[in-house]
Amino acid sequence: MTPAEDIEDTDPGLARERTELAWHRMAISFAAVGGAILRYRPAAGLPILILSALVWELGRLPRAPGGGRSRERRLRLITAIITGVAFAALIMTFIGHGSGGPP
Amino acid sequence: MTERTSSRGNSAATREAGDGCEPDARFTFANERTFLAWSRTSLALVVAGLAIVQLLPPFPGVPWGRHVIGTPLILLGAALAVISYLEWKTNQRALRRGEPLSRSRLPYFLAFTIAGIALVAAALALLSELSRL
Repeated sequence: MTPAEDIEDTDPGLARERTELAWHRMAISFAAVGGAILRYRPAAGLPILILSALVWELGRLPRAPGGGRSRERRLRLITAIITGVAFAALIMTFIGHGSGGPP
Repeated sequence: MTERTSSRGNSAATREAGDGCEPDARFTFANERTFLAWSRTSLALVVAGLAIVQLLPPFPGVPWGRHVIGTPLILLGAALAVISYLEWKTNQRALRRGEPLSRSRLPYFLAFTIAGIALVAAALALLSELSRL
C-alpha cells in the first residue's frame, strides 16, 4: 500500500468530526447569547439568533482536505461577526443604562 | 517540526501551493479548533461585559462602576477575536512552510487583562463600601 492509499491520508476522520463539533458548539454559543439578549433587547437579540444559523451552516466543512481559501473566508467571517456583536454590545451599554437587575 | 511534516497523513494531503505545501489536514483542523475555542472565549467575554452593565445592580456611590468593569471586557472580547484570527493565519502559514509554530501571546494577554479588571472591580467594591460609611 502506498502512503497515498492510506485511508487516514484522504479522510482525516475524527479530526474533521471534532472540528465540526467545535463549529456546532460555536453556533450553540451564538444561539444562547442571542436568546439571552432577546429577552432584554429583542432588536439586538433576534439578529444574533439568526446569525447562529449562519454559523451552523459555516461549520459544514467541505469534503476536500484542503480548501484553504474557503476556510480562511469562513474564519474571517466569524471574526467579523464576533467583532460586530462586540460593537453592538458596546453601543447597548452606552445607549441604555442597565435596569439594575433582571425584571 | 520534522515529525509534523513527515507524518503519515501528510503525504496524500500535500500539494504544492503558492505559499508552501498544504499541511496535514489533521493539523489544519487542530489549528481551526484552537481558533474556534478562542472565538468562544471572546464571545463569552463580550456577553459577560454586557451582563455586568445591563444586569448588575449599580454600585452604591459609584454609578459609573459597572461601565468601568463591563466596557474593558467587551473591548477585550473584540480584540481577542481579531488576534485569534491573526494567530490562526500565522500558524497556518507556518504549517504550510514547515516552520516551527510561534508561541501564542493570547493566554498572557487574557490573563493580565482579566487580572487588571479583577483588581479594578475589587477597588470599585471597596470604594462603594467606603462611600456608604
